[in-house]
Amino acid sequence: MRVIVCVTQILDPEIPPGEFRLNAERTAAAEGIGQLVMSIFDENAVEVALQLRERMIEREPVEVIALTVGPPSAADVLRRALSLRADRAILISSEGGPVLDGVVVASLLKAAVERLHPVDLVLCGRETGDWHGGQVGSFLAEALGWTCVTFVSRIEATDGGFLMRRQSDEGWEIVWAARPAVATITNEETNVPRLPKVRDTMLAARAPIPMWTIPELVSDVTGLWGANGRLQVRELVIPGTSKACEWIEGETVTEKAVHLVRALRERRIL
Amino acid sequence: MRVILVVLPTPEVGRSEREAIGAARALATAFAGEVNVALVGPAAESVAERPERAGLTLEASANARTFFIAHPMLRGYAPELYVSALEQLLATVRPDVILFPGRTIALEIAPRLAYRLGAAMVTDVIGLQAEDGAVVITKPVYGGKAHAMLVASRPPVVVCVRPRAFDPIEGEIVGGDTTWVEVALDPSLERTRLLERIQEESATGTALEEAQIVVSGGRGIGGPEGFRLLEELARWLGGAVGASRAACDAGWVPASWQIGQTGKKVAPDLYLAVGISGASQHVVGISRAKCIVAINTDPHAPIFKVADLGIVEAYENIIPVLIEEVKRLRVAGKA
Repeated sequence: MRVIVCVTQILDPEIPPGEFRLNAERTAAAEGIGQLVMSIFDENAVEVALQLRERMIEREPVEVIALTVGPPSAADVLRRALSLRADRAILISSEGGPVLDGVVVASLLKAAVERLHPVDLVLCGRETGDWHGGQVGSFLAEALGWTCVTFVSRIEATDGGFLMRRQSDEGWEIVWAARPAVATITNEETNVPRLPKVRDTMLAARAPIPMWTIPELVSDVTGLWGANGRLQVRELVIPGTSKACEWIEGETVTEKAVHLVRALRERRIL
Repeated sequence: MRVILVVLPTPEVGRSEREAIGAARALATAFAGEVNVALVGPAAESVAERPERAGLTLEASANARTFFIAHPMLRGYAPELYVSALEQLLATVRPDVILFPGRTIALEIAPRLAYRLGAAMVTDVIGLQAEDGAVVITKPVYGGKAHAMLVASRPPVVVCVRPRAFDPIEGEIVGGDTTWVEVALDPSLERTRLLERIQEESATGTALEEAQIVVSGGRGIGGPEGFRLLEELARWLGGAVGASRAACDAGWVPASWQIGQTGKKVAPDLYLAVGISGASQHVVGISRAKCIVAINTDPHAPIFKVADLGIVEAYENIIPVLIEEVKRLRVAGKA
């Protein structure tokens, strides 16, 4: 069975708001304000793929391939996937290509998935940790004409399909999905990303990473450009969030609790 | 004339659905356009048959048209069939803006529909403005550290609105010309099957997203036991218990309790953040809370920057005392 995990490199979401800056055009975060990392739900997706491979060990070999679309420097997130023991990784270079909106990324991923035929399962994070689009997985499934299940935390293979644990607004659903399928992955206690071993990190740092270019994958590059223009980023603004916090003090814990209840009653909340 | 179509694919018509219609009506006013509402699946049947149950009437409303799409196959989890049914509706109705509530099933259907329509697609929308025929869309990015303003100048555009970002409409959601839309669904399209539903109960019996008071715990709670204290406090306050992603990922509480960018969005009168550091990914989920109280041992925790009231104290010390104070208040209130 062949499983592809699509991963993306983003600005570290953990950087404190105080250090967050916009670029000069005010269209994105400024470069260099934090380290670049694998998007958090993509890490969960890698974990889901690795667990599926481990559970299948007695039944069928599973090959896990990490894919990313981005500049050559995005190879770092592929090395991260390799350090976690993905079998191999491929970079789709976006250099010289159009702006990477959801449709463009999905089109490039579709071409890569077809080139890697036969593929049984493609995993994407439910959304990126920077723009929170939440659409590339769905677009990819539509482009391929495959099954699509979103907000999945765990996957088992069955004959002809997969059992997926899907998050709903009220809890969870167990969904059977026909093969081949695209699943978008959400976080749960069962798919917290593992940490790489030092030796695997060292091996991953030296591993060769094949690079595919846009012209190699897509014959009609101008068609890809045409996908842009549906949406323009006008401007990003940093919302003012700071409030003046009123500190509830007290000599003892009981005093603090009493003062809090009083403050809430004054505000007519209790 | 601009047409805004609100698609409601969930069995229940709740606050999120009313917010979606509220967002559409505001935009329609700015555009001098009209609002159409499409109820798809079980909601179409229940609302059409017994509108009074949902507090709805079929009489006057601000909608120009209401579409009901019901089909025996539109039950449970069948996203591909919902997409197919909507495609059939959109062969005759040509809206400029298609608006979904921020429910998980809507977040699944909307991008697939957008792809088929070749439409622009934006999720997690907190602002919609009309501007010279274009739609200016605001959404939080970078975990809420910035807001992006996007311009969709070529219709159609598909948007999913973020829960608790728009004011819900009061009164009727159904009205105007009501039409039953016949759809033909091909069983071979069905590529998924719902096998089981696992409901996660809220700890106190109060739904998190509807609660007027939410007591929420984070990494600082240290384990599942601490959440028992928060539950007790929430019960006395008549509220619900929520959590940060860290507490859910640690397995201390169910994932459905998660509040934040990728969890539930809440807008209670009182949000009590206990042992929560206040990462921006969490704070975006509580931005419409009226009063935020933070309890944390670290006075420099970012949560205090968004809090109205702050207490620097270990939760183990103060929550039991607070429970006693609230109990006293409740008992006195009853006497």
